[in-house]
Amino acid sequence: MPLQILLTLVIGGIAAIAMLLHMLGKSALLALDTNSAKEAWLRHFPDDTVQDLLVAGDGHAALVLTDRGPGLLWSFGADTVARHLRDFTYLDGDTRQTIRFSDYGAPRVCLRLTATERQRWQTLMRGT
Amino acid sequence: MTEMPNYPEVLQWAVPLFVAAILAELLWIVIKHRGGRYETRDALTSLILGAGSVAEGIVLGFVTWGFLMALWAITPLDLGHSIWAILLFFLLDDLRYYWVHRFGHRIRWVWASHVNHHSSQHYNLTTALRQTWTGTFTMMMIVRAPLILLGFHPALVLFVGGLNLIYQFWIHTEAIGKMPRWFEAVMNTPSHHRVHHGRNARYLDANYAGVFIIWDKMFGTFVPELDSEKPDYGLVQNIGTFNPIRAVFHEWVSLFRDVSQPGLSPRQRLGYAFGPPGYSHDGSRDTSLGIKAKHLARNPQDRGTPGFSDELPPASDRLHAQP
Repeated sequence: MPLQILLTLVIGGIAAIAMLLHMLGKSALLALDTNSAKEAWLRHFPDDTVQDLLVAGDGHAALVLTDRGPGLLWSFGADTVARHLRDFTYLDGDTRQTIRFSDYGAPRVCLRLTATERQRWQTLMRGT
Repeated sequence: MTEMPNYPEVLQWAVPLFVAAILAELLWIVIKHRGGRYETRDALTSLILGAGSVAEGIVLGFVTWGFLMALWAITPLDLGHSIWAILLFFLLDDLRYYWVHRFGHRIRWVWASHVNHHSSQHYNLTTALRQTWTGTFTMMMIVRAPLILLGFHPALVLFVGGLNLIYQFWIHTEAIGKMPRWFEAVMNTPSHHRVHHGRNARYLDANYAGVFIIWDKMFGTFVPELDSEKPDYGLVQNIGTFNPIRAVFHEWVSLFRDVSQPGLSPRQRLGYAFGPPGYSHDGSRDTSLGIKAKHLARNPQDRGTPGFSDELPPASDRLHAQP
């Protein structure tokens, strides 16, 4: 097959599929509640015991307190990703907060916490 | 020796088929509200990884080709290009695929390349195209050496390798339940391969087959898909990025970080590079055996059921390599 036709097919095909998916509403972020967040955490870490759990007001992240320390669960497209809060940096901001992990496969998470949530989360993230 | 044969470039010709099949699967899911899930960025990442994998093959293909041609130059055997030679090679190459794939899940150096095929939490036809860009670095082309030395031409190797990959495309779907019993008994199917992509403790390290599921049954790695336990797709520790570069290289970065930590013995460094995924010198991580043993500690009633052999050690004895 001539390279020009192959490239057109590949680039056109990828663009068409991505656009179609977006128009079909497949780009929505998963919304979490207390139950789904706990279930999602235990899916990632089945050996943990969840002691407490705070879901962010926007429903896209949860701070999970476990017997192995605090952890962060966040919406990742239609799914979730979770990490224990070890070896991380918290960057505060009025409207947006960032957590950076020392993890090439999960480098950062952006949160949108209210002022009240920010204060409480910061205290709990330190594990105190 | 025969002249250079001219086999069709099947993977290139399959591209329109891939696009059409993805659109058909998506349409089916949207209309029927069942048969799988799609997410825009996940699918986009998979498709970019597929295109990148083809590009990598074009750029670095000369390494594998050169190696195979060097072997072809020294072998006195030539099985030719008859239909029987092609069929025999298809069977033997699928056996080769089984072992390379098994190594890809049991040796971290090879897993670092293969992991990105498993890094989606979705299972649809785009997942089939989520292929590695770093396969050449694993040196697994060595496993093809016996076939060349037996007299199969390198061009046949690439042709049949393409057919094998095309066969595996259609089995990456939840839209197909189970195939007829005779087909499920011999061939790799969507049901068998869903198990392979499951991160459930039961389904780890199972169903490595490419085309024929018989290899898993012969070598003891077959686990059937249970109606009572739907596969949960993705990695034991899922990645949190849609960035294709990070998806491709994340395990390589982790591997090199682990190998280069200070204070390790040479054996421990080798363990991080060539031990099973999940190896750790201090027992802080779990291999698949450890994950299965922990699952059995929580769910002892599962012992002896598919995916949990009676030989698995109790969780307290699970196989962490010793420091």
